[in-house]
Amino acid sequence: MVNEKRASVGAKGPLNCLIVDDSAFARFRLRRLMDSLDHCVASEAANGNEAISAYNRLKPDIVLMDIVMPGLEGVETVRRICEADPQARVIMISSVSYRDKIEEALAAGAKCFIPKPVTTEELKRAIDKVMDKDEMLDVRC
Amino acid sequence: MRLEFVKTFIDSTTHLFQEVVCSDAEVASIKMRPSPVAGGEVMAIIGLMGDAQGRVIFDMDSLTATRIAECMIGEPSEGLTPMVRSAIAELASMATGRAISEINNGGVTLKMSPPTVISGANISYDHCLETLVAPITTAYGEVRVNITIQDLK
Repeated sequence: MVNEKRASVGAKGPLNCLIVDDSAFARFRLRRLMDSLDHCVASEAANGNEAISAYNRLKPDIVLMDIVMPGLEGVETVRRICEADPQARVIMISSVSYRDKIEEALAAGAKCFIPKPVTTEELKRAIDKVMDKDEMLDVRC
Repeated sequence: MRLEFVKTFIDSTTHLFQEVVCSDAEVASIKMRPSPVAGGEVMAIIGLMGDAQGRVIFDMDSLTATRIAECMIGEPSEGLTPMVRSAIAELASMATGRAISEINNGGVTLKMSPPTVISGANISYDHCLETLVAPITTAYGEVRVNITIQDLK
């Protein structure tokens, strides 16, 4: 677990983000992308149980969530987070990106899906969509 | 051996190399072997399960692994650091995930395990299952993709 911090959020200000991925490299890369977009990484989690605990503690504006993780995997983690907080904004970011899995992730409550490797532009577009719309997105960001 | 899937794994790996580490990736002669090739210093292993089962092993020497990871990380590394190992695991995971996504979209259910990376001198993998070995030449050195995939009985 990394040191936790929160950005001071204005209407259009930096977002507080939770990064969930079992890969230290993937978390490093996503943190770098979020830094480049001037958002704040409030915390990181390496599995689903850590993610649920961090989400409940921090209530981040946005969650970036992997799917394939040891223990509690990503889709079930999203389901549990969104059952407890239907307003949760989760973007799935995974190399496993077949149709049924994307539909499963969206049905679990994810707002958007980006296949890895993610670029800065794709991440920015996804965040903009998720933060601008209240309704469920039914397509890849 | 589900040979029709093998091309999908090889293609996803070569495309990913071009995309992630900006390296051309050429596949040399593909060979069938009685078990995975041994002798690499770094192995990233991913299990496959579902309508078929097997594993994919990405096998390379430590210098190749370090050079690939340095490109992904964007800064120099002192040998096989935890971040280098994690980058190699992520590369293997992305290549395999992309391949199984294409296979699943074709109607065959296939899932993957999280990657495991092992390293050391003269490491080998002792499961004697018929394996297709595709040596891929990159700008950073050779990466061998060992693919075993069989129908469930």
